[in-house]
Amino acid sequence: MAIDGLIILDGAGRPIVQTSFQSTSPAYPLIHIDAYNNALTKVSRPEDVDPVLYVAGISNDKPSACCHVGCGDLRLLCPVSGDVDPLFALAFIRTFIDILQEYLGHVSASTLRDNFDVVYQLLEETLDSGGHPLTTSPNALRDIVIPPSLLNKLLSVAGANISSLSAASSNPFASPIPWRKANLRHNSNEIYFDVVEELRAIVGRNGVSLSSDVSGKINTNCKLSGTPDLLLTFTNSKLLTDCSFHPCVRLPRWSKDKCLSFVPPDGHFILQEYRYSPSSTSHPSALGVNQVPIPIMLKPSVMVNETGGTIDVTVTSRLTTRAIEDFSLELYLGQGAGAPNFMVSAGGSWAFDPRSLILRWEMATVPASSSHTFRGSWISSVPHPRSAHAFRTKFAIQGHTFSALKIDQLRLSGETYKPYKGVRGRSLVDVEWRW
Amino acid sequence: MSSQAGQDAKFFQRGKIQEFRAELQAAEVKDKKFIKRRTVLKKIVANITMGNDMSPLFPDVVQCLGTPLLEIKKMVYLFLVSYGKSKPDQIHIVIPRFLEDCNDRNPLIRALAIRTMSYIPIPVVTEALTEQLRHCLKDRDPYVRKTAAICVAKVYTADPRKAEKAGFVEMLRDLLLDPNATVVSNAVAALTEIGDRPDGVFFKLNLTIANKLLAAIGESSEWGQIYILDSLLRFVPEKHSEADVLAERVLIQLQHANSAVVLTAIKILLYLMNYMENRRLIEHICKKMGPPLVTLLSSGPEVQYVALRNILLIIQRRPTVLRNDVKVFFCKYNDPIYVKLAKLEIMYRLAREENAKEVLAELQEYASEVDVDFVRKAVRSMGRLAIKVEPAADLCIKALLDLIETKVSYVVQEAIIVIKDIFRRYPGKYEGIIPTLCEHLDALDEPEAKAAMIWIVGQYADRMDNADELLDDLVYTFLEEPVEVQLALLTASVKLFIYKSKSEKAKELVHRVLKWTTEEIDNPDLRDRGFMYWRLLAINPGVAGEIVLAEKPAITTDSDRMDRGALDQLLLHTGTLGSIYHKNPEASSREFPYPAARALADTPALNPNSRAVLVPITRTQLPPAVINIPGPGPNEPGNQKPEPPLPAKPAPPLPTEDEDAAEGGGGEDDESERVLSPVAVQGDAVADPYSGLDQLGTLSAGGYSADNPRPKEDDDLLF
Repeated sequence: MAIDGLIILDGAGRPIVQTSFQSTSPAYPLIHIDAYNNALTKVSRPEDVDPVLYVAGISNDKPSACCHVGCGDLRLLCPVSGDVDPLFALAFIRTFIDILQEYLGHVSASTLRDNFDVVYQLLEETLDSGGHPLTTSPNALRDIVIPPSLLNKLLSVAGANISSLSAASSNPFASPIPWRKANLRHNSNEIYFDVVEELRAIVGRNGVSLSSDVSGKINTNCKLSGTPDLLLTFTNSKLLTDCSFHPCVRLPRWSKDKCLSFVPPDGHFILQEYRYSPSSTSHPSALGVNQVPIPIMLKPSVMVNETGGTIDVTVTSRLTTRAIEDFSLELYLGQGAGAPNFMVSAGGSWAFDPRSLILRWEMATVPASSSHTFRGSWISSVPHPRSAHAFRTKFAIQGHTFSALKIDQLRLSGETYKPYKGVRGRSLVDVEWRW
Repeated sequence: MSSQAGQDAKFFQRGKIQEFRAELQAAEVKDKKFIKRRTVLKKIVANITMGNDMSPLFPDVVQCLGTPLLEIKKMVYLFLVSYGKSKPDQIHIVIPRFLEDCNDRNPLIRALAIRTMSYIPIPVVTEALTEQLRHCLKDRDPYVRKTAAICVAKVYTADPRKAEKAGFVEMLRDLLLDPNATVVSNAVAALTEIGDRPDGVFFKLNLTIANKLLAAIGESSEWGQIYILDSLLRFVPEKHSEADVLAERVLIQLQHANSAVVLTAIKILLYLMNYMENRRLIEHICKKMGPPLVTLLSSGPEVQYVALRNILLIIQRRPTVLRNDVKVFFCKYNDPIYVKLAKLEIMYRLAREENAKEVLAELQEYASEVDVDFVRKAVRSMGRLAIKVEPAADLCIKALLDLIETKVSYVVQEAIIVIKDIFRRYPGKYEGIIPTLCEHLDALDEPEAKAAMIWIVGQYADRMDNADELLDDLVYTFLEEPVEVQLALLTASVKLFIYKSKSEKAKELVHRVLKWTTEEIDNPDLRDRGFMYWRLLAINPGVAGEIVLAEKPAITTDSDRMDRGALDQLLLHTGTLGSIYHKNPEASSREFPYPAARALADTPALNPNSRAVLVPITRTQLPPAVINIPGPGPNEPGNQKPEPPLPAKPAPPLPTEDEDAAEGGGGEDDESERVLSPVAVQGDAVADPYSGLDQLGTLSAGGYSADNPRPKEDDDLLF
């Protein structure tokens, strides 16, 4: 149960940073890089590359697999061999990406190159040469690898390197809780909860949704001093099903009375993920029996003929009080599509990307109960163009959640201060409409 | 910061060894704050990362180890990790430094020192490390202890017997009771690594330790949780109740946010279910497993893919899981192709009478998509659906005919291939559509489709007035056709002749084909068959008719199911590469090294169903000395008796053909499986036309040719 190492490739498929691959031959990382680059040449879209690539061994070597995840212009590869869970590797890559984001802010080939020493230290601390993940909790990592900004600050202010030794806490992991630093101090004690719910659905030709589900998560930003022990209760926790939690949450307590009891990590983390389905109480096994209504109506009419096609779409918001934000609608027009000519109602804009052949209509806001249209035509150089049979719409609604999840109260014990609390809701919608 | 960032990038310029050496020497004086040293070392490290050989600098860099600055120490250690093992003649100069650091006041440096030493597999270093490790395993700082635990595995690799003698295994065992959860999980990881070695000591858990480990899980990192959960596979329940208790505690881990933790927990639950008796509890667990699996589908596509491949296995073994959730697997237009294909396969598996209509409607939708590969598989799935769910067959045929009307070449060809099988599954029911199919004869240019159509023409030549004309046209290009088509043509013309032996045309046709086959064809297979037919027809045309037109066994989809015993074994590897490629450990051990291929151990608690299909495992290299590690603390009496070291039973009690008998006897948890595939086994002459494709000893028993997923090259994994 160990991965073989980690390789980070830049946009051109060249390695920027990699672990030392102690126990393998020097060619081992190279064949994995080749395997990925080869696979990339065989697919039309980079995201279609199989995430667990089979890699044949060199000469007598055993074959292995290459797990990979993209991040901006980078691609992180994780070669694994033997009896390993690919999810283990994939989860590790995801975690490492999160760590990089935390340390570098924006993760790209150039920030990586600029901070290679930090990245190297991070690799050393997060992955042992035997492939066992070591310390991946950001709270604990900050004790042993100084984030570049802090390091630079120290250097410029003190002008002394000795200070960086003391900056890395001389007593790391002193905290009995692996995800939280000991003795934290914040001037103002605050904690914010961001409830984000995403509705994903497929709507059939007849306008009835074929499948839909709402998954939510509670993003938390915690800036509390000391070791606060929190108890969070919801007024309507019954609505939440299939919850999964940050390791800090005491699971037995949740099973008992649906209260979240936890000592939070410092900074940003995802406290809880859940699924909301209105039917969950009556039919726990059948998902989506009663479906969440989609907040817009879309009336598509598409005609594709031998030389091109026409589109006429009307979108109506079903929301009566709130506005829809960041609305977008996409359609793949098919090989040979060109010469698009479209009209949008006020407030919208459209674009056609000749490379990906995707037609896109955007609106920054769709006011409550309003209706908008998008119509026009395109010409195809290929007879009988095969365009996608589905529109993809995405949008967001601020201050709204499908589940109407409400936090009842947050109690704090173990510390004496009274924290400032904030709660915010947001909904994202990603619907596929077939025509 | 940005200005410095720009400078850093310059370190990547190719540096010269001489230059660096001079700079390092210059840094020895007048470098109070070690800025010069830091800069040079940074350049050197940058060069290492670019693959430039910096090893000649070894003595110079090692000099810097005395610098009392963590950052510099780290870089020197990085250098040592890269070049230490290639310098066995110079490494001795570092040892005193290592020892010094092993006793440093700062726990970070202590841990760093032993970690680096463990990366350098040179005897002098290992020896020095062995000495230090003993203290570090008892260090007061948990960071050092947890690092030391992992180092033990490395020392063990270098010399197993010596490490055992030094008592490291026992020390690791003691760490299982450490108050710090991270130390516990690292000790588990190290013991697992040791236990997985063919020459390693056995790592087994008793109930007390298993419970203790589960208690530590709450405070572990996600990786620690995975190690701990995974180690539970090393606990073999002796009583049903033990499995029950443990499963209840593992169940709660399904609520973890980390997908790998969830999948590992599911693996353990599936394992423990083999040792359970209580039907209610098993059902309860199955019900609880579904939602977390679905939740994995809202993660990134790569996680979805792994989850889907595993779901495919799980629903075959435990059909109640996700039974009603076929909608969750409907494909979205923007899903990556590998996700779509994996979903398609699951949709087919979950299809039954109640949802067949919905599934079919989706498949029809997919048949109009852009990706050719996906469309083909969607069409093929329609045919399989018709074969699997009898009440849906009418609708499927209609849908397939609609597709044929579209005249899209690859859709038509794919449809004809599956219709041929539907004819065989439901003899005498759909032959009326043959004329429609014949209209598209000219569109067929792929061998498989062409062969399928020719088979149809030959098989039903008695019902078609123009069969002889059609065949005559097809035979026109006989010599240029691929073997597959030639074989089909040969058989079809013989069939035609048998049906219409009076017809001059048929006689002339078969004669022509037989002559070609025997005189002009080089392929021995084809030629021999030609001779055989010829002689049959010459000696006794009546018997020939009986042979050639013998009643064919009906097609079923039974062989789509994997063999149960193999499935059980694969599920022990849930989430591993084997489960992705659907290869059983033994078949793939040549491919993917399974350090210790897992098998269910036979104990009184083993469920009779699981026992019936038990696949024993033979460990090729037995450990020279089987050391049973009893848990720390009071020894349990149960654990002291010599346990059956391995379920090395001579032969599986029941080979796969008897699966049905076995299930019929005590098939308690397989009733639902029955419901899932309403296609009853017809007689014992169940032959599957596809099963011949499955001769390589791999797992998936038949199905469509590519239904035998293998590590892919260019092909897809599914179907």
